[in-house]
Amino acid sequence: MIPTLAYSVVGLTGVAALWGLLTAAVNRAPGRAQLLFAAGVELVVVVQSVIGFVGLAGGFSPAEPATTVGYLIGILVLIPAAWLWANVERTRFSGLVLAVAAFGVLAMTLRLLVLWVPA
Amino acid sequence: MSTSSGVGTSSGAGRALVAVYGLFALAATARAVVQLSTKFSEAPLAYLLSALAGVVYLVATFTLARDTPPARRVAAAAITAELVGVLTVGTVSIIDPQTFPRATVWSAYGIGYGFVPLVLPVLGLLWLRRSRQTPDAG
Repeated sequence: MIPTLAYSVVGLTGVAALWGLLTAAVNRAPGRAQLLFAAGVELVVVVQSVIGFVGLAGGFSPAEPATTVGYLIGILVLIPAAWLWANVERTRFSGLVLAVAAFGVLAMTLRLLVLWVPA
Repeated sequence: MSTSSGVGTSSGAGRALVAVYGLFALAATARAVVQLSTKFSEAPLAYLLSALAGVVYLVATFTLARDTPPARRVAAAAITAELVGVLTVGTVSIIDPQTFPRATVWSAYGIGYGFVPLVLPVLGLLWLRRSRQTPDAG
């Protein structure tokens, strides 16, 4: 885990969540830019998880290894799942779906920062 | 009373509801798997309840998303169990903390998850009523 990268993820998912709430509030389905942004955020999340796993493989042993691994895997699946679910039926609620996933990744990344301490 | 909204459980606002259920299904199930596989003996009852919560959320997520008449009945049962679970575990965890020495998703009515676990089953049951496909007889 690199704190700067983790805080970037927190910031990016925060923007994605607010964007989703905004399009829902003005009764619009997410546009192309919003969907591309979500995909970009997912890329950063993937980089973060890969770095996390490299750290674990490289000998870093966190206080709660199983929980840490669970979060590193968990944050990967939320945005892709929400992306697909939001695109099947494109309404204002698609933005809410994206916001829920983005907020989930945000909360889990904050939790990872706390978990990432040596045993 | 005779009008049907014509919206299924997985349509419209239901899509967002399913997304929230999916998030909790992942969180509760993953948490239970970690707890049961690494430290079951520390707090067996709390960890088994975590697992139960995970299963309830998984069932609710898939049945709400599926939106067939049988799926709606299963969803209603799962969400009712969820409401009973969060109220029971929430109350017991406050009155008698010794029963649950380790936190579950339902401890203190879901305080660790912003009380969403308490609100979610209420929204779920309301949504099942609201999105009813067959018109009311009365």
